[in-house]
Amino acid sequence: MIQLFHVTKYFEGCLALSDISLRIEKGECVLLTGSSGAGKTTLLKLIFGSEHPDDGQILVQNRNIARLRRADVPYHRRTMGFVLQDFKLLPQRTVFENVSLPLIIRGLSAFESRRKVIEALRAVGMEHKQTTLASVLSAGEQQRACIARSIVNSPIILLADEPTGNLDPQLTTEIAELFKKINARGTTVLMATHNRQVVEQLNGRILRLDCGHLVSDQGAYA
Amino acid sequence: MKRLWYFFREAFMSLRTHQASTMIGIVTTAFTLTSFGTFLLLYHNVHNLIGRVQHNIQIIVYPNDAIEPHMLQDLKKAIQADPAIDSLTMISKEEALKDFKHQFPEEAYLLDGLGKSPFPASLVLNLAETIPSTDAISNLVNRLQQNPNVERVRYNRDWVERLTLVITYMEVGALIVGGALALASITIIANTVQLAFYTRQDAIEILRLIGGTNLFISIPYLIEGAIIGGLGGGIALGFLRAGFEFFKHKTHMLNVIGGFSSVIEFFPFSLSLLIILGGIVLGCLGTLTSMYGWMRFRL
Repeated sequence: MIQLFHVTKYFEGCLALSDISLRIEKGECVLLTGSSGAGKTTLLKLIFGSEHPDDGQILVQNRNIARLRRADVPYHRRTMGFVLQDFKLLPQRTVFENVSLPLIIRGLSAFESRRKVIEALRAVGMEHKQTTLASVLSAGEQQRACIARSIVNSPIILLADEPTGNLDPQLTTEIAELFKKINARGTTVLMATHNRQVVEQLNGRILRLDCGHLVSDQGAYA
Repeated sequence: MKRLWYFFREAFMSLRTHQASTMIGIVTTAFTLTSFGTFLLLYHNVHNLIGRVQHNIQIIVYPNDAIEPHMLQDLKKAIQADPAIDSLTMISKEEALKDFKHQFPEEAYLLDGLGKSPFPASLVLNLAETIPSTDAISNLVNRLQQNPNVERVRYNRDWVERLTLVITYMEVGALIVGGALALASITIIANTVQLAFYTRQDAIEILRLIGGTNLFISIPYLIEGAIIGGLGGGIALGFLRAGFEFFKHKTHMLNVIGGFSSVIEFFPFSLSLLIILGGIVLGCLGTLTSMYGWMRFRL
């Protein structure tokens, strides 16, 4: 599903990732841990195609991301979902409009779109909030809406960068549970977190990064 | 269809949400197009006036006194076939005498004893309104002068050449001024759209995050640019019409340049549409210029 071969990345001369090689199988739940600046976000961005590696190769669903043409990046992104710490919702749009955006981009019909959005909102328990403006949602609701938007396309891979960073422990538990459910449906989940509660709750494979180096890999498939 | 709805809804929502930058865009486009339109209106009217003046320039052909009637017919046909000529009027010797007596009644007694008209018959040629080139006129005059049935050809060559030169200068001037104003307009709209881009960075980032292509992200902005440009063009057209009517009214009241106000005219409908279309094109070009710089280095 995802393979990295000796990936190195620099930011303005500073080493962000050093010689990272790893393999993530379909349906795995992988937790990227490490202190701030360890390279977790950089690794996710490389897989997502918003950064290019300075060295090494990245294969995502047998497609070499390192050689991806600029014009192909959006199509690569449509195969995966991305959940961020700061939600990234359009504040003046309703929950329904926010969640349906990836489907409009793909050009789905209004009927098909509606069905998928309702399904995604139901999966995150936000069906009753579909006409609410994103700006008036609570932090937990915003993150749920964001998750709904990232799974509405039925992605094979779901990337998440500190999705519980802005949430209290109660909401963190709820969001972690959502990711667990999504993973149980067969979606590969790759989440960057330094929240111990989330790590314990998801109980997945743990990759620990330190100053750009992969220092441990616990629970990998044999 | 859903996409199309999305594009237009986004464009209109954005216009409504960012009223200040929208107003700046519309006002600057209107101002630029009004400046350009004023110049165009001036050019249009001077061009028309020159056309009228040129139309009034006559080439007078004097056939030989002894020309046979059928040869005169052939000569008239050959002249009328030339595209540089709009119309031909035959003035016979008798008509020439009558005209002289009409124009100079006090000198008419001088010709009383002659009996027969001393004036030659002539063919008066009016130039086409499409303003033929000086070369075309010269060629025609040369051909006529070499015709054995033609005694003499008279026309004001310098006057025609000067008029043609004025038209050429005006056309070059129109191109330069128009180009400079269009460039200024594109820059202003580009900056306005760029400002809109900065204020909507988050929305653009979200669209990129979920797999929106540059084209998908750009279309609402292009529509927005086209609306701003179109509205600017419409307002400019309104200003121009009001200014034109005011100017016409003033010149009419002051009776400036002997009935000048009755000669000048506003743009025809097609040219008016072109001003609005020009605004739309400028709006789109401004957006494209801005987006090119914005999206070039972003993944």
